[in-house]
Amino acid sequence: MSVFSRLRQGDLHSLAAPYALDALDPDERRRFERHLAGCDRCAAEVRALSQDAVRLAWTTTSVAPPALRDRVLTAVRNTPQDPAPGQDAARSRAPHLPPHVWGTEPPPARPHAPRLRPLFAPLATATAAAALVVAALFGVQAAQTQDKLDAERAQAREIAHVLAAPDARASSDADTRGRGIGVIASASEGRAVVTLSGLDALPGGRVHQLWLMRPHAHPRSLGLFDGDTPLVASGLDRTATSLAVTVEPDGGSRQPTSQPVVQLALQSVGFGQ
Amino acid sequence: MEADELLVLVARGDQKAFEDLYALVSGPVFGLVRRVVRDPAQSEEVAQEVLLELWRSAPRFDPGRGSALSWILTLAHRRAVDRVRSARAAGEREQREARRAHHPAFDQVAEEVEAGLEREWVRRCLDRLTALQRQSVTLAYYDGYTYREVAERLALPLGTVKTRMRDGLTRLRECLGGVA
Repeated sequence: MSVFSRLRQGDLHSLAAPYALDALDPDERRRFERHLAGCDRCAAEVRALSQDAVRLAWTTTSVAPPALRDRVLTAVRNTPQDPAPGQDAARSRAPHLPPHVWGTEPPPARPHAPRLRPLFAPLATATAAAALVVAALFGVQAAQTQDKLDAERAQAREIAHVLAAPDARASSDADTRGRGIGVIASASEGRAVVTLSGLDALPGGRVHQLWLMRPHAHPRSLGLFDGDTPLVASGLDRTATSLAVTVEPDGGSRQPTSQPVVQLALQSVGFGQ
Repeated sequence: MEADELLVLVARGDQKAFEDLYALVSGPVFGLVRRVVRDPAQSEEVAQEVLLELWRSAPRFDPGRGSALSWILTLAHRRAVDRVRSARAAGEREQREARRAHHPAFDQVAEEVEAGLEREWVRRCLDRLTALQRQSVTLAYYDGYTYREVAERLALPLGTVKTRMRDGLTRLRECLGGVA
């Protein structure tokens, strides 16, 4: 890395707080976001600072004008929703994220959306910016699986996010045969990093599947382990009581088809309330 | 039901859930937009855009990445800031007067609403920042100025403003503790 680019990196890092406060002009915002896409440390930092910034909104709560409700609900009845990321065929065909996600181009036109009252700001700018916030901070479209490197980078970032959560806590357990499960979880973020140890090697065509156990509910799959790579699970609700791992056919099962090989209670990491 | 649970239902196209979600978040969204944009009619437009965007984008929300309310308010803030800047660029006063001619002012102000505990808490924590930290953070967040504009207004070097913003946010976090 040249001295010049290192200086520029340092300079870009210092923009994390202004970015979190939406205090960058459009050019700087774009430059910073390009940097953010490849900088795990910045992503974690921006995320933390953005959550701080959102707290400033606590002081501004008001009451929306009644007429706004009618307009919004009418518009909602006539507006199609965006597809969920997994169903977005166009996106999975394209190896790269559409440019508008990164704020460089307006999003595709929405021919069916009802015409709203005219805006002063070009709608495209605002929508691109909004899509970007979503992508940068909440990973809504950030599942960049264009190659393995990206997947690994994304996973490292997800793990860093869990570790950086103020309420991140760790727990682990092992049975007498030395089969263990460890978790670092954040109840506030509903996320956990789960690792396995000491399990018997699996025959071909079988995988370890992770389940979330909740009271009065069927086990919910949190994903499949890929060898000894930690699994990042998200969407854990606070009522979750434990994690369990079962051996399942390749591709996983909808519900567990065998007894758990390892289990771990989640109470000590802030769940089960 | 809380915003996070409702948003999951909204993501499946549940319009009734959206009505409930609207009841929960329209106040925070409108209040934040109104604080930044100031102009009542423009605030309504921006809030409307944000709330409709919420409906459209709900299927893409990943609950593992943060709370629904944080996501919604982050969207609202970005939209509000974009609007106030373009309004400023276009000559704020002229626009406001032009709009007033068409839309009666909405005169409900934030102060009418009962102050919540959180609001009081954040205010108290803001008071504990140094004056420069507080001004740097609030001029950016509540008034929508870029850090360059903040530096100009406070007659400070750019680097100082960036640092004050970071320190201000960090101290706010420490003061508010783990309250989500």
